[in-house]
Amino acid sequence: MIITETSNGSIAIVALEGTLDALSAPELRNNRMVIDPDKMVVIDLEKVDFIDSSGLGALVGALRQKHHKTCGIILTCMNGHVRKVFEITNAQKLFHIFDDTMAAVEYAANQQGTGK
Amino acid sequence: MNRTISVALPGERMFTRLATQIAASVAALVKGERENCTAADEFAHAFELAVSEAFTNSVTHAGQRSAPPSVTVIFLAEPKQLTVSICDTNAPFSIDTKAPDIESYPENGYGLLIIRKVMDKVTYRRESDMNIISMSKML
Repeated sequence: MIITETSNGSIAIVALEGTLDALSAPELRNNRMVIDPDKMVVIDLEKVDFIDSSGLGALVGALRQKHHKTCGIILTCMNGHVRKVFEITNAQKLFHIFDDTMAAVEYAANQQGTGK
Repeated sequence: MNRTISVALPGERMFTRLATQIAASVAALVKGERENCTAADEFAHAFELAVSEAFTNSVTHAGQRSAPPSVTVIFLAEPKQLTVSICDTNAPFSIDTKAPDIESYPENGYGLLIIRKVMDKVTYRRESDMNIISMSKML
């Protein structure tokens, strides 16, 4: 899996590319930007072609570390197969999900500004 | 006419993706014989997911051994359904597990839930010291 990190102001943008499964999930679990409890992160999934329960677990685990804090994880640009995994596990309830990365960054900046 | 395809792979994490790609290809081939591309794509994704979960479970629960055990993936294409069975020699297990409570942000436990959601029938049996989890979907 390829992980590309950029930032927009105080918002981290992490773009993932490839397959998010048991082999690649540890890379995500160890990514400093993703697991930083004080960082709001937008994760762009446009180039993720496949995710299974291991990949999902890595994302949920990262979000759990940020729970009840003024930051979180926002997921963007899921393809239909990736979205289906979130739907059938109900994990879509846990995340803010956007179709557009820049809209997600704007939302994250507003949330941070209002302290939510 | 029933057709069978059997593939034995080393039970190592790096071979999970190969197993899932084989599953997706077999499912697309079988479904593609009778349906359009969209239906075949969804059917293939269901098998890709189910095999990813079951193969990962086999690798995860293999325990400490001198050499990685082999995991056998068997496809059975029947006139009305496609079945994939994942066979390993690990300790016995149960597929009667509760779905995880999503509100507690669990990192694990989604595998069997996903398999049950994307497949029409899931069975487990222990035969000659082998675990055999079989997952079927109607064509």
